[in-house]
Amino acid sequence: MQRAAFASKNSLVTLLVSVLACVFLYFALVGSLFVALTVIGLGLALIVFGEYMGKAEAIHTAFGEHRILGIAVLIMFVLTLPFLLKGNNYLLHIVVMGGIYSVVALGLNFQMGSTGMVNFATAAFFGTGAYTSALLVTKFSISPWLGTVSGLAAAAFLGLLFGIPALKTRGYYLSLVTMALQVIFTLMIINTSWLGGPNGVPGIPAYNIAGFSFKTSVVLFGMKLPYQANYYYLVFAILGLAVLVAGRLYNSHVGLAWNAIEQDEIVAVTQGINQTKIKLLAFALGAAFAGLAGALYGHYTSFIGVENFDFSISLIFICMVLLGGMDNVLGVVLGAMLLTIVDEKLRDFADYRMLMYSLILIIILLARSQGLLPKRIRKYGKLRDSKIEPNF
Amino acid sequence: MSLLLSQVINAIMLGSTYSLIAIGFSLFFGVMDIVVFSAGDVAIVAAFSILVLMGTQMLPVLDSLLPHAVSSVVIVFVGAMITALLMLLMYRLVIKPFEGKSPLMPLLSTIASGIVLRELIGIFYPQGRNPQAFPQMLPSGTISSSLMISWRNVIIILATVFLVALLYWFVNKTKIGLSIQAVSQNREAAMMVGLNWRLSILVTFLIGGFLLGVSGFLVASYSEVVRFDMGSMYGLKGFSAAVVGGLGSMFGGIAGGMLIAFIEVFVTAYIPGGSAYSGVAGFLMVIVFILFKPEGILGEKTVEKV
Repeated sequence: MQRAAFASKNSLVTLLVSVLACVFLYFALVGSLFVALTVIGLGLALIVFGEYMGKAEAIHTAFGEHRILGIAVLIMFVLTLPFLLKGNNYLLHIVVMGGIYSVVALGLNFQMGSTGMVNFATAAFFGTGAYTSALLVTKFSISPWLGTVSGLAAAAFLGLLFGIPALKTRGYYLSLVTMALQVIFTLMIINTSWLGGPNGVPGIPAYNIAGFSFKTSVVLFGMKLPYQANYYYLVFAILGLAVLVAGRLYNSHVGLAWNAIEQDEIVAVTQGINQTKIKLLAFALGAAFAGLAGALYGHYTSFIGVENFDFSISLIFICMVLLGGMDNVLGVVLGAMLLTIVDEKLRDFADYRMLMYSLILIIILLARSQGLLPKRIRKYGKLRDSKIEPNF
Repeated sequence: MSLLLSQVINAIMLGSTYSLIAIGFSLFFGVMDIVVFSAGDVAIVAAFSILVLMGTQMLPVLDSLLPHAVSSVVIVFVGAMITALLMLLMYRLVIKPFEGKSPLMPLLSTIASGIVLRELIGIFYPQGRNPQAFPQMLPSGTISSSLMISWRNVIIILATVFLVALLYWFVNKTKIGLSIQAVSQNREAAMMVGLNWRLSILVTFLIGGFLLGVSGFLVASYSEVVRFDMGSMYGLKGFSAAVVGGLGSMFGGIAGGMLIAFIEVFVTAYIPGGSAYSGVAGFLMVIVFILFKPEGILGEKTVEKV
């Protein structure tokens, strides 16, 4: 009897928290700069307050029990958002960009969050996907879908190559190698006219399914939605898949091996973890995520230039992972979304963009280095099955 | 023949500017075991400070009191002192809070603070996002026109040699210099014998900042223009030089700086279309070094303790 009461309480908590999260995200998105910052600040305060009161663990348990409910609320929110936004193409554009960046950030999280290898070449992976797909499609007029798959494959291959230094070095040296590779990538693009040079690649065709171009607006349930809505659903389908993959990996022996390497490489190797395989996997998989997102980006914006893939963009991705919470899948997505929204709201102050990012980075590091949603302690065996009784 | 010689001199000049910043990196790494990634931007702050000072009435006033050469030195000194203080501030704000935490944190915080400096210059200096002509403060005459050696070349190289010699003397002969060495070898042991390790660190940052300031002045004089974002590439090359030479080794920094400069200059001069790829060649060499000789040219081989 009591048990059932707890269960219903927990489902209520799950419902409440997930709806609240969606409401917060919605207002952060639609509000003006001031409203957005207030809402984000309020959300932050709630998270910190919740942790301070010790409710975070209870909420997490509730989510663990009623996972389906939380996911259902989230999916409902994602599906209805274009209608909630009344087909506003600018706001939809922000969300699409947020989705694309979330996929990249999830990829970076494999290296930086799970394995502790700070990679400054994420923008190069992102760019490899974008350039491979864009050039193949514009020069050899293959299908954009095929181009996207090639972009993913090319980025994964580059990730494998970039991962090789990670086998021999770590810490600062690894960071320097990835920085050097990122700079080499940018320089190669600028100086190679075949790759578009400083002018970028214009006129990248949009996706189409059986003659339906993604660049046309659609009418759904009596509401005319701009073409961004097509990309919105595509990007969020892919983001959903990416979250699923990342979540499964986190819970698998691979995620555990990554964490073991992050904690102590030597101990991990003595425990029988194949360091070569597991580190290269982090790089190749992360790069594949970034490459996929890059190809999507190219076909969505129809133009790519080298400034979308330079060192500062890599830093922005690092910022996203760090803000959201390293090695926390939901946190990383949240971080990417929030930073994209804030970035767009600050469009009027474009000159201050990098200043803002670097100040945010320093403030997170000083004030809350674990990020918005901190890394969770893994639970196994009895701990995982035991239900902590909620304490509300 | 004279082309080759002038290229060699050019490379030594460029190498000098890289060496100084590399030594700065090594100094900080020695005492704190961290890489201060904002070093390049700090150096460029010095160049801009000097630019601002030159625009004020300071130079004419100094000129009326002192010979022109001396007043130029005074201005460079003031610019370098500004960066020395800036470096202290940076230590206090973005390095000290992360002592004893994951090395990832000071890495990111120093990169971010470098961007803050860069962006502040871009925003607050008049037309800060455009390249600024750097006033020619070094004498421009040539010594030997057939060999194309100018006074500027000689002074940049001599200034570097002088600074390195001064630093060498300071670190090896003075009490505070020796305590800096002690702290960088083993901080716990230095504390146990009663050294004021905090003071050693502060002095290191002060000296390192000064060195970065002078290097910023030299690199601006070398390229004759300064850009607000020059620091990122300069810092990256300086750090590369420090790693190639051996992080923590003073003469390693010089060796690394010269090697990178020679590769860049010679790729530009002798490979057709090479100027575009000179940066790529330099960084490729860095990667090769890290992979196959991570201790650098002059660094000590470290064995990881379990």
